[in-house]
Amino acid sequence: MADRLVIDPITRIEGHLRVEVEVQDGKVVDAYSSGTMVRLIEEIVKGRDPRDIWAFVGRVCGVCTTVHSLASVRSVENALGIKIPPNAELVRNLMFCTQYIHDHVVHFYHLHALDWVDIVSATKADPLKTSEIAESISNYPKSSPKYFADLQKRLNGFISSGQLGIFANGYWGHPAYKLPPEINLIGVAHYLDALEWQKEIVKVHAIFGGKNPHPNYLVGGMACAINVDEANAINAERLAMVGQLLRQAKDFVNQVYVPDVLAVAPHYFDWASIGGGLSNYLSYGDLPTNGYNDPSSFKFPRGAILNRDLSKVHEVDPTDPSQIQEYVKHSWYSYTEGDDKGKFPWDGETKMNFTGPEPPYDQLNVEDKYSWVKTPRWKGNPMEVGPLSRMLVGYALGKDEFTKAVDGALKYLGVPAEALFSTLGRTAARALETQLVANWALEFYDQLILNIKNGDERMANMELWEPESWPDLAKGVGTTEAPRGALAHWSVIKERKIENYQLIVPSTWNSSPRDAAGQRSAYEEALLNTPVENPEQPVEILRTIHSFDPCMACAVHLYDEKGEHVHNLNVF
Amino acid sequence: MSEPTLILGIGNLLLGNEGVGVQFVQQLEKEEWPDWIHFLDGGTGGFHLLSEMEKYPVVVILDATMDGNPEGHVNLIQPKFASDYPPTLSAHDVGLKDLISSLYLLGKVPEVYLITISIEGIQPMTMNLTEKVNNAYNEVRKLLKTLSGKLLRRVGV
Repeated sequence: MADRLVIDPITRIEGHLRVEVEVQDGKVVDAYSSGTMVRLIEEIVKGRDPRDIWAFVGRVCGVCTTVHSLASVRSVENALGIKIPPNAELVRNLMFCTQYIHDHVVHFYHLHALDWVDIVSATKADPLKTSEIAESISNYPKSSPKYFADLQKRLNGFISSGQLGIFANGYWGHPAYKLPPEINLIGVAHYLDALEWQKEIVKVHAIFGGKNPHPNYLVGGMACAINVDEANAINAERLAMVGQLLRQAKDFVNQVYVPDVLAVAPHYFDWASIGGGLSNYLSYGDLPTNGYNDPSSFKFPRGAILNRDLSKVHEVDPTDPSQIQEYVKHSWYSYTEGDDKGKFPWDGETKMNFTGPEPPYDQLNVEDKYSWVKTPRWKGNPMEVGPLSRMLVGYALGKDEFTKAVDGALKYLGVPAEALFSTLGRTAARALETQLVANWALEFYDQLILNIKNGDERMANMELWEPESWPDLAKGVGTTEAPRGALAHWSVIKERKIENYQLIVPSTWNSSPRDAAGQRSAYEEALLNTPVENPEQPVEILRTIHSFDPCMACAVHLYDEKGEHVHNLNVF
Repeated sequence: MSEPTLILGIGNLLLGNEGVGVQFVQQLEKEEWPDWIHFLDGGTGGFHLLSEMEKYPVVVILDATMDGNPEGHVNLIQPKFASDYPPTLSAHDVGLKDLISSLYLLGKVPEVYLITISIEGIQPMTMNLTEKVNNAYNEVRKLLKTLSGKLLRRVGV
């Protein structure tokens, strides 16, 4: 009889995920992923003015605060044939890059690092040795023995008074923690440095989007007036601040984030063969350099990989009904024509049909419907989306920056390319793409400044703003790559109002329940064969789930084979 | 004039009594206060509030708590560590505790006062406070007046 672990939701940061995992002989033998809260924003936006939708759907998530608004304005622009000015594209790209850099760094240090870094062990570190290691992997200035000694003193005071506070929920001392004390201390130091740094970089969102979280977007461009001499516009001073923030961000990524990932990885090479999961990868691509309508110009290329065959990248067309389908066989919805067939989002439905047990419940009936998340498929295949997919598509296409980054890291770590298909590979891919994005952000910034210097201050195209100029029926799709993966919004505009609106978000791809054919999605598949040394402290499960950046804080509840509640822990 | 003091209301406005900290700050802000007292609706901002808290030497947090006291009970404490906070500061407790712990580890912890208003469980999806919780407003207001007077006397005004 397999034990069942349940990883259940708590309303804390974002989203509601529950994972039920069956463990036998110290390994995961099956897994079920369930979204326990309904989104239904698709119904809220029906009948509304398409120009307003970005403001509603942006609120889907407070962590990736820009991506849904971006997908929405693109979807409406795509439907109505609106082309935005180059500066608006550049500003959107800068918002995108800022979101990535912030999100990936915060995810690594504040949501994922404590799965690998043992805080308590850091108190045993030798500050001098820590400083030597830090200086050998990076030229980050805060690396002196005194810096680490001071931090260690505060940490000691913190722990010795019985106050683990922020770190109270860790599994400290678990044998799965393998880092030497010195690297643990570096991890703690950078956890705190990242906390300080992250509040700066998001100011880019506030400068261009008026506020953060949930900065403003605009159908037709961006709602920010550029005038270098005007006090109340985005002037020379604010543009200079953006440049400074982006340069600081690039330094932080290059001097702290990437070196830390590369320093931690060699202690966890066993995780280069755990958590691989699906062998199919999807990226819509993003960061246009020649407009959204030209995917070949995207910095993150578009494409799909099947069966880990990196010699072939398949073309992806998000407007092709035969490519993308959503299933509800195991989701709490019903389709008019029955639940066995998939639906293309333009024809999608969001009719609730809850058949699950009344909460609180011990276990879901996974034979039936068991999630509020639908199950999307690309040409019938379950796909992983996210940093690993993006890096693999770029790598498989032989794009120079991608091959350099990936081959460089593989060589540095001395591991074969197969190591990419793993929990560790996913974590490393996130760091490597942050490095690319930090570089690109400065390219976009320089281009924007050049355009402005040349007198181009256009930020929006208002030619098709008035609904009278629209056709009676229009359909659009807006794609982007959220930090967590491929995101698209499909819109149908009838008589100038939203007739139908469907979102397929990254965590829908990754966290969905099984499809009508019984195929597992990314989380469920990736958890198979994960070792669980101590069911009381299932840190291994968290490592793999967190490697997807699930954008949700979870509480871990552990049940024994009789369904008795034996353990309850809050976990980042 | 005393040192700049931030009155920070936190909670989720959509969860009824859970959002009492936010609702009270919105109300308090409309009244007359010395200009060194600033108000902020912190919502469920979590770590986003770090930069605001760092700006002030004194921070007074208003928050709901499920500490077993009768609904509407008001309490003022001066917590030092995260674990000095009442056991369940409802759904957003982790964010607040983490924030304080981080400030401590960063060596930047301000002088923190915490005014809690006891609630009984979380009501889903309402912006209204129950009568008992709403009635706590005058006591919170009075506590803040007393506290601000103390802060003033401390700097010898």
